Amino acid sequence: MKNREVAIVGVGLHPWGVWPDKSQPEMAVEAISNALKDAKMSWREIEFIGAGSPLWVADREGVNSCLSGTAIEALMGGIGVPVISTANACATGQAVLSAACLAVASGEYDVALAVSADKSAGGFFRPQSQDDKFDLDYQRYVMTGETNPAYWAMEMTRRMHDVGTTEDDLALVKVVTSKAAPYNPYARYKKAFTKEQVLNSAMVCDPLRLYEICATSDGAGAVIVTSLDKAKKYTDKPVLIEGVAVGTASFGDQTIPLYNLSAFPRPGVPMLTESRNSIAAVYKMAKAQYHRNCPEDIDIIELPDNSSWHYFVYLDCILDLEPGEAEKMLRRGDTDPVDGKIPVCPSGGLGGSGEAVAAQGLFQLYSCVKQLREEAGEGQVKKDVKVALAQTYGYAGNNAACIMSRAW
Amino acid sequence: MNAKKKVPIIEGLFTWPTEDPRIIVSRCRKCGTVAFPKRPFCPSPDCEKVRENVEEIELSKRGTLWTYSYQIYPPPAPFKYEPFQPFAIGMVDFPEGIRMLGIITRMENLKLGMQMETIVGKLYEDEENEYITWMWKPID
Repeated sequence: MKNREVAIVGVGLHPWGVWPDKSQPEMAVEAISNALKDAKMSWREIEFIGAGSPLWVADREGVNSCLSGTAIEALMGGIGVPVISTANACATGQAVLSAACLAVASGEYDVALAVSADKSAGGFFRPQSQDDKFDLDYQRYVMTGETNPAYWAMEMTRRMHDVGTTEDDLALVKVVTSKAAPYNPYARYKKAFTKEQVLNSAMVCDPLRLYEICATSDGAGAVIVTSLDKAKKYTDKPVLIEGVAVGTASFGDQTIPLYNLSAFPRPGVPMLTESRNSIAAVYKMAKAQYHRNCPEDIDIIELPDNSSWHYFVYLDCILDLEPGEAEKMLRRGDTDPVDGKIPVCPSGGLGGSGEAVAAQGLFQLYSCVKQLREEAGEGQVKKDVKVALAQTYGYAGNNAACIMSRAW
Repeated sequence: MNAKKKVPIIEGLFTWPTEDPRIIVSRCRKCGTVAFPKRPFCPSPDCEKVRENVEEIELSKRGTLWTYSYQIYPPPAPFKYEPFQPFAIGMVDFPEGIRMLGIITRMENLKLGMQMETIVGKLYEDEENEYITWMWKPID
């Protein structure tokens, strides 16, 4: 980052799953404790906190969800530092990392924490108000019954028409990503699936089947960053942040993003612009400061495999692929999460754990850091990992991405 | 017995009551950008945020099916469709340049590119009223 370089010195997770008896701040405290232990750091050394706020506030804990950081800091024990709580939907994990990194890069703070917990478990997401006048999500939902998977399935139908993606390809995404899930101690489903199992699972929103759509889960994550010069005090293996950015959608995007009822597609504007914009931003940052050549230099990818559709479109977006190339890469084994040319989702992905929305980006960052440090155990990818990229999904025109590399 | 009154689940999104319901949108008088539900300002970043520049219009009756899927499982409340049946849902492109979401009236024989007509359909009812939304009716 400009002004001052920033590195990750500690990461921690709370396992992904369903935890009805724990509050969100409680899960966050466990993740923070793991991150502090990883950095061999005490709680009082934290100088700034960026905290992710879940979107499902009506269902989950009310004010604790909105003022997430305040609740988490209080449960850790108040240390009086600045706490910023922010809701960026799927992009929240990398958004709070961005806030923490900017706090350190500015020179104002030396040690910052990015933390988020989210209890998303419970099936299809639904609107959070009954406001039929101004809540677009409520209007969309009661008038059309569009669930998130229905939206993904509509886009998948179109892609199959345009590109020739097959039902076998959709199943293969789950088969390939789930190979890595058994090796991730924090994964919810530590199981590898066969193509038959996937193709025999229930049709949810044609053409997407149950095992081709991620579950909704509870989870929490924490990442501690310091200035690069201070990082050596905490770890032998600091992970450099080469770029981290939030992206938003551009006017004229081709798709009707979730919670909207319409789009006004303009010529020359692609789909998923929020995702293309965040990727363009981090590629630019990494090039400007580290002469990084992206996407060629990226060794591993954590992408948001919310559904099999996501897997293909996010490969397109990250690797700037021609239509249909993502499917070919998958079939060739290029994206195998352990021994692929460019391993994708070595964590087992969202397919292996489900999505705890506001914390999901931190789950991805955790995986990248473990791979860079060669601490992923049986799940360590076969190739040498020098540069890692994590990108979140883009609900409601929110996306975020981060490029990390070894700083040792 | 009198027929029940048909009431939009949310008022003001389509013309009603009428024999020929249309989607109500906003259109920018300067650049032509169309938005649904109607907005107070033009959503183009290059247009001034002036309320007077935005007018209310009704969309054409017909559009073209861009894509579709099926909702097999009942979405949880507050969506209400009683009795629940799996249904098709699709994105339809209108000549005004807008792509619109809506329920499709049937699940069989849907093809990308086919013509779709705007109608209204019932999702649920009580003792007095039938509650309606806009839907796309395929034209074979």
